[in-house]
Amino acid sequence: MRGPDIAWYLAVAAFLFATGALGVLLRRSPLIILLSLEIMLNGGNLALIAFSRLHGESSGQIFALAVMAVAAAEVVVGLGLIVAIAQKKLDLDVDKLSFLRG
Amino acid sequence: MIVAAWICLVAPLAAALLITLLGNSISRRVAGYVATASVLGSFAAAVVVLAKLWSEAPGDRSHASTAWEWLTAGSFHVGLRILVDPLSVFMMLIVSGVGFLIVAYSIGYMDGDNEERRYFAYMALFVFSMLLLVQAGNLVILLAGWGLVGLSSYLLIGFWHDRPPAVAAAKKAFIMNAIGDATMALAFFLLIQHRQSLNFPDAFAVGPGHGWLVNLVALGLLGGAIAKSAQIPLQTWLPDAMEGPTPVSALIHAATMVTAGVYLIVRTHAVFEQAPRVLELAAGLGAGTLLMAGLIALVQTDIKRVIAYSTMSQIGYMFLGAGLGAYGSAMFHLMTHAFFKALLFLAAGLVIHALAGEQDIRKMGGVGRLMPVTRITFLIGSLALVGVPPFSGFFSKDSIIAASLSRGWYGAILFTVALIGTFLTGLYAFRLYLIVFPGEPSPFVREHLMRDSHAAGMEGAHATGESAHEVHEHTGEGPFSMTAPVIVLAVLAVVGGWIQFAPLWHPVSDWLDPVAPPLAVPSNTQEALASLFAVLLGLAGIGVAWLIYGAKRLRVPKLAFSQRLLEHKFYFDEAYDAAFYRPAVWLAKGLGRWIEGPIIGGSIREITAAFREAGLDTSRIQTGLVRTYALAIAASLAVITIVFVAVR
Repeated sequence: MRGPDIAWYLAVAAFLFATGALGVLLRRSPLIILLSLEIMLNGGNLALIAFSRLHGESSGQIFALAVMAVAAAEVVVGLGLIVAIAQKKLDLDVDKLSFLRG
Repeated sequence: MIVAAWICLVAPLAAALLITLLGNSISRRVAGYVATASVLGSFAAAVVVLAKLWSEAPGDRSHASTAWEWLTAGSFHVGLRILVDPLSVFMMLIVSGVGFLIVAYSIGYMDGDNEERRYFAYMALFVFSMLLLVQAGNLVILLAGWGLVGLSSYLLIGFWHDRPPAVAAAKKAFIMNAIGDATMALAFFLLIQHRQSLNFPDAFAVGPGHGWLVNLVALGLLGGAIAKSAQIPLQTWLPDAMEGPTPVSALIHAATMVTAGVYLIVRTHAVFEQAPRVLELAAGLGAGTLLMAGLIALVQTDIKRVIAYSTMSQIGYMFLGAGLGAYGSAMFHLMTHAFFKALLFLAAGLVIHALAGEQDIRKMGGVGRLMPVTRITFLIGSLALVGVPPFSGFFSKDSIIAASLSRGWYGAILFTVALIGTFLTGLYAFRLYLIVFPGEPSPFVREHLMRDSHAAGMEGAHATGESAHEVHEHTGEGPFSMTAPVIVLAVLAVVGGWIQFAPLWHPVSDWLDPVAPPLAVPSNTQEALASLFAVLLGLAGIGVAWLIYGAKRLRVPKLAFSQRLLEHKFYFDEAYDAAFYRPAVWLAKGLGRWIEGPIIGGSIREITAAFREAGLDTSRIQTGLVRTYALAIAASLAVITIVFVAVR
């Protein structure tokens, strides 16, 4: 069970997380933002699993499974919202969906 | 016997509750019958109590009964306690007896009014309150009855609540009475502090060496008495109270409620006797009131107001008697006054009823030709009021006047004032009688009464149903249920006085002696002297009234200043207005302008404005752009991470 060093895994995880975060911050389509969020979560998952393997413990993997479940639920809600927005014939652009301005 | 006393007390209360709870399920007529029957029941029970007491030895005629413990505060207990003794039985008989006649009269008088049930419930409540007042076995129950009487009087004066003057009069009566209630309550506090008990009679044994205490207590009680009995300086509510229905005026403002002050003085005479100066003050206030009211009555033009002022004047006599320690005479005058004053009011009510609510005597005249029964009964009432023998006022009033003779120079002043009062009584009573009754009917009277002779009479009134109140198309004097009480009262006003003829027989004074032994018993010479002067002056008053208003040989003297003074009732209302009402309004306006506006209102305005400003400022952070929120989250996360790493 040898493989790359833990640092490599963490580097990939950090890369994935940063990519997702940039996507969330820069893109304007809610669909893409949702996808970017998934990438961020997967980055987190990768880090969890890497540490789990390093320490030889299963709790990190179980935690990763829980994150996947949460991610699935979140996607359901998010996609539902997007469908609802589309049905209202509104632009799918988060900058235009700013009705909650104070 | 105690059971009979309790029945006497609760019967009217039961009727009031019954009428209230049954509401529309009983007819208006039935409500009247229920109230009348309950008061009659009270009277019957009072007669039973009287008979039982009569059969006992004079020394043991006092019985107390406590229903239950009502209030407890530490070592201070107050029970729902009634006391049956000669004095309370005397009052019970007057209240329920005269009350019965007046409530029975009301059935005819109020016929067709829209709210008869409410009226009869109030009347029954009033009789209950008055009975509670006179049967109270301790001062707290007495105060409860006192307050309930004030409440019922408020409700009944303001019975026609769509008339602004009636509502104003009701409020005035209530507020004036509240002043007296407050001074009484203060007196009770002093007694509680000193005696730990308000039960009769141990509450009064204050003991020597407490001069200031006794004087304060007596002053407080006197304050309550003068407010309820409309004596100077709290008298202004009584004439205004004539805004209520006429039977109410008869019941509350003549026969029972206003005499409660006299009852209070006689009941608490033990306190007053330890404060002789206050007792003299009571006599002086009574004398002042009887003179002032007699003068004002000379210029009033409202039939009920004239009688109201004569009530004030007669209660002045009672205060004079009670203040001089002639308790038996004062109570006896209370009784005869209840008869003839209720008679006068109810007879006046017949006139007002027949004239569709008109009370201005300047429009009346010659009513007597069309209403012979009313004329004769009113004449009897007036003669009894003036104190012409053999009518009842003669027997009772003269003993009071005689009692003042044994009091030195102070008594001499009171004697003179009381005699001037009898002259004025003759003058105003017969001014009223001569203007209203004899002679040719005036056009106004003709219009209202002549038409009735060919109208369908009473049946016609009932056939037209609810609107009969405005029309009054019955025969001149009203139904039998209205004339019968008047006739009974007229008989009582004639014979009622014969119960006691001070020099020869005096059962009323003997009956009350165990409760309130008199301080002064006038000798027969004094009685004769007082009677002689009083009767002569009363007749002189009648004579002057006849010369002016009957034979028209004398003209009404024109004295512009005094006339204005009297028409403004000695400017008491104006003085109170200037002394209390205006400053209160000014103070309120000033406070509103200088305190409430800038300080209270201003601070609240400023605080709300500051919060709104802060909210508006912070709300600018909420851009509504999801990406700003995301950036904020990411940035804060980054900061937290950096701090976390750096601190570690």
